[in-house]
Amino acid sequence: MVAVAWSRCAGRDCVRFAEPVADPQVRPSSAAVSAPAMAGTLVDDEGDLCFVPRFGFVAGTRYTVTSAGTVLATLTRPARTVSPTAEVAAIHPTVDVVPRNLLRCYVSFTAPMGDGDAATRVRLVDDAGTVSAHALLPTEYELWNADHTRLTVLLDPARIKRGLAGHRAAGYPLRSGERVRLVVDAGFRDATGAPLVTGAERSYQVGDDLRGHVDPAAWRPTVPAAGSREPFAVAFGRPLDSALLGRCLRVTGPAGPVAGTAVTGDGERAWRLTPALPWQPGRHRLLVDPVLEDVAGNAVGRVFDRDLAYPADRPVTIGFAEVTFVPTP
Amino acid sequence: MGEYGLTVGTVELRSAGPITFGPEGILFLADNVAATVYAVEIADAGSTDNAEPFDIDDVDARVGSYLGCDAGDVAIRDLAVHPLSRNVYLSVLRGRGDDATAVLVRIGALDGSITDVPLTDVRYAATTIADAPAEDDERIDFTLPLGDEGEDVQFGTRTVRIVRSPIRAATVTDMAYTDGSLLVAGLSAEEFSSKLRRIPFPFQDEAAANNLEIFHVSHGRWETAAPIRAFVPYQGGRSILASYTCTPVVHFPLADLQPGTKTVGRTVAELGSHNQPLDMVSYVDDGEEYLLVANTAHGLVKIACRDIDSQAPLTEPQEPVGVARRTEELRGVRRLANLGTGFVLALRADDDGRQHLRSLKTSAL
Repeated sequence: MVAVAWSRCAGRDCVRFAEPVADPQVRPSSAAVSAPAMAGTLVDDEGDLCFVPRFGFVAGTRYTVTSAGTVLATLTRPARTVSPTAEVAAIHPTVDVVPRNLLRCYVSFTAPMGDGDAATRVRLVDDAGTVSAHALLPTEYELWNADHTRLTVLLDPARIKRGLAGHRAAGYPLRSGERVRLVVDAGFRDATGAPLVTGAERSYQVGDDLRGHVDPAAWRPTVPAAGSREPFAVAFGRPLDSALLGRCLRVTGPAGPVAGTAVTGDGERAWRLTPALPWQPGRHRLLVDPVLEDVAGNAVGRVFDRDLAYPADRPVTIGFAEVTFVPTP
Repeated sequence: MGEYGLTVGTVELRSAGPITFGPEGILFLADNVAATVYAVEIADAGSTDNAEPFDIDDVDARVGSYLGCDAGDVAIRDLAVHPLSRNVYLSVLRGRGDDATAVLVRIGALDGSITDVPLTDVRYAATTIADAPAEDDERIDFTLPLGDEGEDVQFGTRTVRIVRSPIRAATVTDMAYTDGSLLVAGLSAEEFSSKLRRIPFPFQDEAAANNLEIFHVSHGRWETAAPIRAFVPYQGGRSILASYTCTPVVHFPLADLQPGTKTVGRTVAELGSHNQPLDMVSYVDDGEEYLLVANTAHGLVKIACRDIDSQAPLTEPQEPVGVARRTEELRGVRRLANLGTGFVLALRADDDGRQHLRSLKTSAL
């Protein structure tokens, strides 16, 4: 039998043959013998024949090497040793009581994560630990931020929207008055393939429905003193979407945009901006992007599901909404 | 090809997303991680004449064998059929995490051979699909810089150092080319909107693209917006049938859509609870145009286009709802594409999760 072994050739992993062989081919051992051979090239390396794959060998995968249809060897790539380092950094919303028509949660991780685990490693469970079936929306394409550290978890909108078949057949995914937990399994793998250091969960009390536009005119601002670096604060009166809060609010003053450090608080029901420079006297504006939503998907410009019989819920076409304030003298 | 603004270069796919053919063998590939759609010239030789319908068992395992991995490491994200050669193209993600590689795979129409399509030195064009604010937008996304990062931006007489936010996460879920435009449906990781992006092709600057927002009404009482999961142009591109993540199937005429105005589509059917649309295709059989809707819960749904035109908007909250349709027994269909006259190609997963390519004879559907 010809000696066949893992080796290196021109800086790449290869299969090395100790002597010439006819028509050498490599396949994953899981593939049928009639399946296409693995793509790659045969090269002469100091007298040895080497198979260099076009797409690298996969750690932990077993390969079958044949010559003219006869099995020469089966070789298994060493499994990669990975150790858990990633953790769940946060689960949003952070408010204790979520509305029955909660639309969206976010799971933030301390490291970039891999694709493919969202559907099986994140779930809603009730107080007794029973999984709420069909509560979360299965999406073929997982919803990540650009650096793959924040996963968006949607509750099934077909069950939240009144009038739709899903809602009529199965009702809301959440039930008012009950407790529910969003659970992230420790088995959720990061981008290196390692599981989490530990699982995580956040518990919520389910309250009433949250309806109506997000209405900046109803927000309660706390106005700082001119010349100070006290924060400008605003209370929303309802929990807003944590991700959208990160990009939908801006403050401008007489001299242009006010740079500073913005934080959300009180379960995403409040926001405050501590300016980098002291407040100028004069009129300031908090600009609100109309796409800003609450945790139930109601935005400044439109509600999540609009009852046509309810005029107050009409969509409004607006640019940025404004909350004006003048720092106190 | 000069009229399409293509230049020679290398496309480095960072992720495997939806693919669809445009004019003259131009293949559009969505790369969600890069927030980019590429238009790549696929210069297949040959014509449709010799192509026969074909089936391939265990296509995931066969593609995996070629790529050197187990079937479990192969994610087939989409399929498209070259309009001339009838070769089948698969958008494939091999592996996961840091090791994941996006590969365009070609299956020969004549012999079922599997190869990859290197995207080096190809003729291509690209356009961004990021919903990024314009440079002079008062609403510029910025945060206070840490250390030396960021850039100086002039606001009136002041210079402010800011850090622009990374591109907003939007995930393309379906694409179709019709009449000089690439239509792109996507799901935002943040706001819940029903925007359909219309991008002129040949690609121009980003400002040429516009967003069309289509609302729909449930049972005459509740009006909502939701992301479009799958859609298909039909009637020569004059009409769109779209299926939303919350499962209504909605018709709207493409020509009537104007950017910046609210459009309310006509809900013609619902796919039902615990169900998700996956893909749609149109075909003509015996002079009649039909649509097929692949979905997660039921068999293929077949709808005659003339029934859509005559379907009044759904107004009554009762079952069954909507346009006349037939549910085919074939379950597990995830993707669909036209395979020349008389056949539709389906990517189908069986009960064991094995995936197969099946040619469906349209006259038998």
